[in-house]
Amino acid sequence: MPSVHFEHVSKRFGATTVVEDFNLDVAEGELLVLVGGSGSGKTTILRMLAGLEEVTEGTIRIDERDVTALAPRDRDVAMVFQDYGLYPHMTVRENLSLGLRLRKVARTEIERRVKWAADMLRLEPLLDRKPKQLSGGQQQRVAMGRAMVREPLVFLFDEPLSNLDAGLRAQMRIEIGGLQRRLKTTTVYVTHDQVEAMTLGDRIVVLADGRIQQVGKPIELYRAPVNRFVAGFVGTPPMNFVDGLLASENGGVQFNADGVNFEMLSSRMPAAMPAGPVTLGIRPEDMEVDVLDSGSAASASGGVAGRVVLVERLGGTSHIHFDAGQTRMLASVTNERLPGVGDAINVRLNSERAHLFVDDRRVSSAS
Amino acid sequence: MAAPYAAFLLVFAAYPILFALVLVFLKWDLVTTPVFAGADNMRMLATDSRFWRAVANTFVFLSIHLPLQVASALMLALALNRPLAFRSFWRAAFFLPVVISGAVVAILWSNLYATDVGLINGVLVRIGLSPVPWLTNPSTAMPAIAAMVTWKNVGFYVIIYLAGLQYIPRSCKEAIEIEGATPWQRFRYLTLPLLLPQTILVVTLSTINGFQLFIEPYVMTGGGPLRRTYSIVLYLYTNAFAYQKMGYAATIGVALALIIGSVVFIQRRVIGNAEAL
Amino acid sequence: MKTLRRIGLYAALTIAALTFIYPFLWMASATFKPLAEVGTLALFPTHATLDNYRTMWARAPFGRALINSLIVASTITIAVLVFGSITAYAMARLRFRGRPALNAATMGVLLVPGQLTLIPLYTLIVQLGWIDTYAALIVPYLFNATAILMMRQFFLQIPQSLIDSARMDGMGEMRILFTIFWPLSKPVLSIVAIFTFMGSWNEVLWPLLVVREQHLMTLPQLLTVFSLGGGAGSIGVSLASAMVLVVPVVIAYAFLQRNFIESMAGSGVKG
Repeated sequence: MPSVHFEHVSKRFGATTVVEDFNLDVAEGELLVLVGGSGSGKTTILRMLAGLEEVTEGTIRIDERDVTALAPRDRDVAMVFQDYGLYPHMTVRENLSLGLRLRKVARTEIERRVKWAADMLRLEPLLDRKPKQLSGGQQQRVAMGRAMVREPLVFLFDEPLSNLDAGLRAQMRIEIGGLQRRLKTTTVYVTHDQVEAMTLGDRIVVLADGRIQQVGKPIELYRAPVNRFVAGFVGTPPMNFVDGLLASENGGVQFNADGVNFEMLSSRMPAAMPAGPVTLGIRPEDMEVDVLDSGSAASASGGVAGRVVLVERLGGTSHIHFDAGQTRMLASVTNERLPGVGDAINVRLNSERAHLFVDDRRVSSAS
Repeated sequence: MAAPYAAFLLVFAAYPILFALVLVFLKWDLVTTPVFAGADNMRMLATDSRFWRAVANTFVFLSIHLPLQVASALMLALALNRPLAFRSFWRAAFFLPVVISGAVVAILWSNLYATDVGLINGVLVRIGLSPVPWLTNPSTAMPAIAAMVTWKNVGFYVIIYLAGLQYIPRSCKEAIEIEGATPWQRFRYLTLPLLLPQTILVVTLSTINGFQLFIEPYVMTGGGPLRRTYSIVLYLYTNAFAYQKMGYAATIGVALALIIGSVVFIQRRVIGNAEAL
Repeated sequence: MKTLRRIGLYAALTIAALTFIYPFLWMASATFKPLAEVGTLALFPTHATLDNYRTMWARAPFGRALINSLIVASTITIAVLVFGSITAYAMARLRFRGRPALNAATMGVLLVPGQLTLIPLYTLIVQLGWIDTYAALIVPYLFNATAILMMRQFFLQIPQSLIDSARMDGMGEMRILFTIFWPLSKPVLSIVAIFTFMGSWNEVLWPLLVVREQHLMTLPQLLTVFSLGGGAGSIGVSLASAMVLVVPVVIAYAFLQRNFIESMAGSGVKG
C-alpha cells in the first residue's frame, strides 16, 4: 500500500487562491480525514489528488510516482462521491464491474471480485437492480463496492455520508471504518462533519481558507488545539469562548471578564504573561454545575455565577445554557438534579482543561 | 368559457377527421355532387405506382436523413456542451436555419445546388473536381434534399441533445473517468445510453417530418427527376389541386397518417428495446 | 497540448457555424449582384445594384403580400394568445363537465398528422365560400392545441390562493385571467407568441390551397409562386423576394435568439 505526498500544492482560480501551499504526507494504509467548512479547500485537495482538478503549483506523488500531470484514469485511484455517481442505466452488477471491463480484465476475475465486494457489503440480493430501485444506504454501499473492486492504490471519499439521514450515517461510519481497517487501503476522506472526522480518522487535517490549521490524531486535536479555529471546530458541543484580560492577583493569574472571573493554573501559563486581550476557552464537558438553593450566594468556591436560560435534557447528559454576566455559555453535565430556567447556578471550570488564546493562537500549554 | 374551443374542435378537428374517413369512399371534384365509390379509392391506391414511388422515395430520404441528423446533432451538441466563449453565438448560428421559412431554404438551396451557377459546384470546380448535377440526376436528387433538410433542422435537435446532456450527473462523468474510461469509452458506455430518450425523440420527429415533406420537392424539383423526389404530400396536393380528385386525395391523407403511425410505433419499439432503460 | 485541442475545437465550431450562416450571406449578396455576377463565389459584388429588388417589386405585389402575412400572422397570434389563454384557464382552474374529455381531445389532436385533415378542411373552406379570403387563412388557426396545452400546464402552477382572494374581491373569471394570470405568465406567453407567429409567417401549403388571387397571397406563398412560375427570370430577383421574407425574421432573431430557441425547441415546432 503506497503513501501519498502533497508537496507545496496550491490551487488558484484566476485571482482567487483556494488552496495555499498544502504539504502533507499520508502514511501507508492510514485513513486520513480532511475536515473543514465550505470553502476550506478540502474538496479541491481531494479532487486534485483524483486528477479531476488541475494543480496550479506543486507536486502530488503516490509513493514515488509523480502523478501531478496524469489523467485520472492513469492514477489507479478510486473515488466515492457524495451523490454516489452510480450509472443510472446499469444494474448494480454492471456498475461494479464497469471499471474492470473497461480495462479488459478477464471475465472470471471480474466475477470473483464482484462476488467478493458484494459479499463484504451485503449487496448479493441487489446485484440485478438498477440504482433508482435502491435506498440511499444501498447506493452508498454500491459506490463503495465499485471502488473496492478495482483494488486501487488509494481510496478517495468525498463527503459520502452527507446525503444520508443521521441514523444511517452513524451506521455507515462504522462500516466504512471497519472496511478500511480490513482492506488496509490508504484512504483520504473528506467531510465537513467533525464527528465523522473524529471517529473515522487515524489522523485529521483541519482546513480553513485553503490552509492547514492543524494535523494530528483526533485526541491531539481535542486536547491540544493549535488555535481558536480548531478548538472551536473539534468537539461537540463546541468550546465556550470568553474574551477578557489577565491580571496578576493574589499570587496567581486571574482571568477577568464581565461575569466570568477565573483563576488560571499557573503551571499551564506561558512564561511571559500576555498583556493585551485574551480569550478563555473551556469545553462544556469540562464544567461542573452546582444548583443553588434559593438564597445562597454564588462564587462560593471560585466558580462562575450563572443564570439558567435553557436546559436541554438528552437522557444521561444535559446541556445547560446560562448567562454569566453578558456572556452566554453552555455546560454539559451529568447531574441528576437539574436547575430550572431562571435559577441561579454556580459553575466550576476545570482549570486543568481551560485554554488561553491570544490573537487566535493557543498560548496555554496542552491539557 | 371553454365552449368556444369545444365548438372549434368540433368544426375544425373532429369534423375534418371524420369527413376524411368518409371522403375515402367518395369520388368528388368539388363542383359536381359527390359519387359513392365504395372501395375504389383504396384499390386505386394499392396499385398506384406513383403513390408507392412516393413512399419508396420517402424511405430513401429517411435512410440518408436519419443517420445524418442524429450523428450531426449529437456531434454538435457534444462540442457545445462545455464552457465556451461565444457559446450562445454558436448555438444561435446552428439554430438559424430552423427559424427560416422552408420555402426560402428550398429556393436558396435550389440555387446552391444549381448545376451551372450554383455555389456548391462553384466550389467543387475551384478545387479541381467536376460539377455534379445534384437536382437533375435521379440518384443524387433525393440525397441532396435529404442533406438540405438535415442542415435546416440540425440546430433544433442540437438543443434537444444539449438538454439531455445537462441531465447526465457530473459525478457519473467523473466516476467513469476515474474508473479508467477513454473519451470514446465514456461516450459509448455513459453518454450515448443516457441520451437514448433524446435519440428516440430525434428519430421520431425526423421521421414524421420526412413523411410530411412537401415544399422542398415542390420548389426544388417538382417531384422529378423521373419522380425520384416525388413525396407523398406532394402527390396529395397534386390530386387535390391539379386533378380535383378530393376523394382520392383524402385517401392518400388517411394512408399517410396510418403509415406515419405504424412507422413511428415500430421505431420506438426497436430503439427502445435496443437498450431498455 | 490542451490549448492546441481548444484551438482545434474553436476552429471546427467556426467552420460549422459558417456552413449555417454563409448560405444566407451568399443569398443576401446575390440579391445585390447584377445578372452577370450572380453565380460567382464572391461575397461582395463588384457592381452592387438594387435592380433585382426593383424588378421583384415591379413584377409581383410583394408589398401587398408582406401586409397580408403581417395581418394573418398577427391576427392568429393574438387570437391564439387570447382565446387560447381563456381556454387554458378554463381547463386548468375551472371545473366543468367534459373537462377530461376536452383534455384528451386536445392531446389527441396533436397526434393526428395535418395531412389527414387537409383535404376535408379544404372542402369545408370551399363550401363556405371562403376561397380567396382572409377568413380561410385565419379561422382554422384561431385555436392552437399545443399553445393551449402549454398555457394550461403553466396555469396549473399558479397558486390557488391568488384566485381565491381575487374572487373574494368580486373579480370575474376573465378579469382574473387578464389581470392576474397574464402578468405572471410572461414566459409562456412569449414562447407561444413566437412559435405561433413564426409558424404562421412561414406557412406555405395551406395558403397554396385556399388562395389563388395574387394580391391575397401571403409572402412565402407569393415567393414560391413567383420563383417557380418563372416570374423572377433570374436568381437575383428570386432571391431578392426571399430576402423580404427572411430579413425581418433574421433581425428579430438576432435580438431575441434566446427566446426563439426556447420557444421553438420547447414546443417541438419547427419552422
